[in-house]
Amino acid sequence: MGIDNFADYYSRSIKEKNLRGLADNPDFELVETSLLKADLGALVKDKDAVFHQAAQAGVRASWGESFRIYTDTNILATQQLLEACKGGQVQKFIYASSSSVYGDTSDLPMTERSLPEPVSPYGVSKLAAEHLCRLYHRNFGVPTVSLRYFTVFGPRQRPDMAFHRFFKWALSDSPIAVYGDGEQSRDFTCVDDIVAANWLAYEKGGAGDIFNIGGGARITLNEAIQVIERIVGIPLEVQYQSVAKGDVRHTSADMSKAKQILGYHPKVSVEEGLQREYEWIRELVDRKPKRAMSEAAKLV
Amino acid sequence: MALSQELLDILACPKCKGDIHLNDTGDGLICDHCQLLYEVKDDIPIMLIDEAKPIEKDV
Repeated sequence: MGIDNFADYYSRSIKEKNLRGLADNPDFELVETSLLKADLGALVKDKDAVFHQAAQAGVRASWGESFRIYTDTNILATQQLLEACKGGQVQKFIYASSSSVYGDTSDLPMTERSLPEPVSPYGVSKLAAEHLCRLYHRNFGVPTVSLRYFTVFGPRQRPDMAFHRFFKWALSDSPIAVYGDGEQSRDFTCVDDIVAANWLAYEKGGAGDIFNIGGGARITLNEAIQVIERIVGIPLEVQYQSVAKGDVRHTSADMSKAKQILGYHPKVSVEEGLQREYEWIRELVDRKPKRAMSEAAKLV
Repeated sequence: MALSQELLDILACPKCKGDIHLNDTGDGLICDHCQLLYEVKDDIPIMLIDEAKPIEKDV
C-alpha cells in the first residue's frame, strides 16, 4: 500500500506519471491522504513493514515561514506513524533519513559515529525524526532502522534537484545555474541502490540501527556537469551563482557498516544513473536537445 | 481495478476517524457522521478533508 498526500511542493502531474508503472499492479493500492489526518493505526495494522519515505524535502526552502511544513511533515508525521506502530505487528520500520544530518564537516568520510550537526532547518527536522525513531525503539520496541541517504538521483528525481534542473536546461538550450563554484562534491547515490538498501534493511537491519547509504564515489558538481555534457551530446554553458544558505561543501559516506551488516554494495555508477535519469526526463518533457554536438562543433 | 474490500475495511474518515462506506456508483466514500463524500479517482481514494464534498440532501 502506498500513502501520499500529493503535496503541492511540485506538480501533481509529475507525481502521477511517476506512479504509472504501478497502476496495473494488482498488489499495489494507493491511498491519497495526509499522515497527520489519517487513521494510521488502521492503515499499518497487519502490515509487515513500513517504509517511511514521506517528507517535506528541500534544504533551501526550509528557512523562514515555511519551516512549519517541515516540522509537521518531517517530525510530527513521523511521530504519529511511530505511535501507530507501537505494540503492532510491524517487523521493520524503515526511516528515510538524510546525509544532511551531518552538516558541513571536513572530517570525511562521514561515519554513523560522527557528531551530527546539521546546518539547515531541513537537516534539523530529519535528525529530530531520526532521534524519535531511536526513542520509540528504545522505549516501545518499534523496530526502526534509519537509512541516511546521500544525495539521491536517477529516474523520477524531484524537479527542484540539481540533475533534474541541469537536464531540463540542457534540453531547452539554457545555461546551467550552479550555486557556488561547482567544486562542492557529493556522494551521489542512484535511486536503484537506495531501493536495494531499503530491502536489505528490511531483511537484515537490526532494530534501532542507523546506516549510511551512499553511491560509492564522491564527485564535484563540475565533474557531474561534464558527464551530463557527454550524455546530452552538447557543450553546456554554466553560470555560477552565490552559495545558498544551508548547503554543505562536501558529503562522503563511510559505508563500512552498511556493507558489513546489510551486505549493501552500490551497483549503479554516476554515469549510468545519469544516463537513466536523462532518458526519463526526455520522455517526461518529450524533447530532444535543440543543438546536436556536430552542430555545436561547427560554431567553433 | 476497484478498491479491494481489505482496503475498504481499514479506511476511515480522516475528520472523525469513523467508518466510511462506498457510495452507490462506486466513485466515492461516504462518512455518514460527517456527511462528507471522499472521491475515488482512478481507483485512488482521496482521503483529504479539504478535498471532501458535503453530501447534498434530497429536498
